[in-house]
Amino acid sequence: MKLREYEAKNVIKEAGIPVPAGFLIRSAEELPAHLGALGDAFVLKAQVDVGGRGKAGGVLMADKATGVEVARELFNREIKGLPVKEVLAEQRLAVQHEYYLSIMVDRSSKQPLILFTEAGGVEIEVTAREHPELIRKIVANPLLRDLPPFMLRELVGTAPKEIGPVINRLYRIFIEKDALLAEINPLVTTLNGVFAADAKIIIDDNALARQGITVNRDLSEREREAGKHGFSYVELDGSIGVIGNGAGLTMATLDLIEFYGGKAANFLDVGGGAESERVKNAVRLVASVPSVKVIVVNLLGGITKCDEVARGIIAADIRQKVIVRLAGTNEAEGRKLLAAKGYEMLDTMDLVVKKAVEVTA
Amino acid sequence: MIYGDKNTGILVQGATGKQGEFHIGLMNTYARQVGGRGVVAGVTPGKGGQQVHGVPVYNTVKDAMKEHDIGAAVIFVPAGAAADAIMEEAHAGIETIVCITEHIPVQDTMKAIAYAHMEGASVIGPNCPGLLSPGEVKMGIMPAGLFQRGNVGVISRSGTLTYEVVDELTRAGIGQSTVVGIGGDPVIGQTFVDVLERFENDPQTKAVVLIGEVGGNLEEEGARSTDLPIVSYIAGVSAPPDKRMGHAGAIVEGGEGDARSKIARLKKHGVPVAARVSEIPEMIRELFRCRC
Repeated sequence: MKLREYEAKNVIKEAGIPVPAGFLIRSAEELPAHLGALGDAFVLKAQVDVGGRGKAGGVLMADKATGVEVARELFNREIKGLPVKEVLAEQRLAVQHEYYLSIMVDRSSKQPLILFTEAGGVEIEVTAREHPELIRKIVANPLLRDLPPFMLRELVGTAPKEIGPVINRLYRIFIEKDALLAEINPLVTTLNGVFAADAKIIIDDNALARQGITVNRDLSEREREAGKHGFSYVELDGSIGVIGNGAGLTMATLDLIEFYGGKAANFLDVGGGAESERVKNAVRLVASVPSVKVIVVNLLGGITKCDEVARGIIAADIRQKVIVRLAGTNEAEGRKLLAAKGYEMLDTMDLVVKKAVEVTA
Repeated sequence: MIYGDKNTGILVQGATGKQGEFHIGLMNTYARQVGGRGVVAGVTPGKGGQQVHGVPVYNTVKDAMKEHDIGAAVIFVPAGAAADAIMEEAHAGIETIVCITEHIPVQDTMKAIAYAHMEGASVIGPNCPGLLSPGEVKMGIMPAGLFQRGNVGVISRSGTLTYEVVDELTRAGIGQSTVVGIGGDPVIGQTFVDVLERFENDPQTKAVVLIGEVGGNLEEEGARSTDLPIVSYIAGVSAPPDKRMGHAGAIVEGGEGDARSKIARLKKHGVPVAARVSEIPEMIRELFRCRC
């Protein structure tokens, strides 16, 4: 789950990395109390859970005279469809130089990867493409609690020395907060030293509980509801509902729908050992989406019992058509149960998907 | 054979749990069918002295190692204890460690894999179905009934999708040498590169099916690392960016790891990529035709 900017900045501040003076406000009326500390010119940033906030009008410049007016304007905006409920009012820094610092999980080396460049102020993807030699990279053995000084020296290069401890503190955050990504972009120098002007932290979904996070904000309400049933669920915008077991098989089912020219309404992985109650819940959940016209059930596996699955589908008793592909134990029994209730059961995933696309065409 | 054969003694960590018990039964049924050793010991702290399907349970991996010749371990413990289990097995000197457990925090996985590497152990998974060499050995949860012995290796980040592919291959009369599920997490022990290296040194394996999905670029790394003939399939062509598709590792982030660019890179490298799973058997036949 991605932390909001002010949450990430709090984490960073607690770890001893300086951040600009900033205040979280929930209405424009809360701003005047902080005007003294913010200085003459400051910036107002909407705290919404979407990317590309700046371009969408979520970041506004303000000063003492116009502050409240500008804040009111921001609170009245919608950023990519989301209302603005929280705004971070933050001091504007007199920046001398911008740097980029990022720590991420590197799949290839299976270790934390630390990236630092003195060529900040440009999009990192652009630098990576045009001047990859300007980005310094180090992979660190994750068993290290601290980065050894030689690694810090290598990363910092000719940049100010006080950046070394900042890199190590961010590395400690990365490890201790179960981050998948911890990024300071830009890391800036001013006359008063180094500051994290913006920060991004993504927490591992599998570690939310031990980090004390109870609600995953990255998920929609229906996605969270599905999670309670133990399903992996992603909402899409087509009309063919999909239920599969296993992430790969379910994804392959979605791809096949696209291959035959249809559009999937969702991704739902029921997980292993799907009993009738689970299957019933899954079918009802998918059927509750108004745009779903037909549901494809594609279940395969050694331990999935087809008669259980069939009972679940029948018990769900939904208005939409359900097309089923089942392979596993008690296949004949499942087929018989479904046939008796008039459900269509086909032999391969190609066949069920083709059929579903025909129904919605 | 890669990672193990009939003679490999297997230890199951989390032997007395529901999953552990169930799969010890299935693994040993398979071992009996093929005349292998199968699961010879179980470990659950505090449950030493018990038996599961006739398999003795010990309190620690070291205790089990004193009594049995063990070459591989399969882990069924909950997510919070799995990294510890990997390290305990590596420390005790087990060479191949298969971790079925899912939902392990990535920081734990990175540490456990780094530690196992230092001890000289190979970790398969986590969040994987394990591996199966038809006629030889099953370490994990794959449904053995779908498999047939042959000379095509299969490597996959998925579970059920692997069974689908194996089912297609077997129905088409194409047997498998070893099928390895390497896991759906962002950080996994053995990657495509590692398994392909084993297949290169395995005289039985003549071609490989590489089943990937969105996220990262391990598939391309693998394809570049080997001279073995490969057929590939990549799941997630229709996956939207920034959404996790069931597997923790199946996510297109920062415009990276999307299926289309993955497929394009594989094709550029000369690897045929199937648009549908059902095309794979014919593509394997084609591969053999060209090479003959």
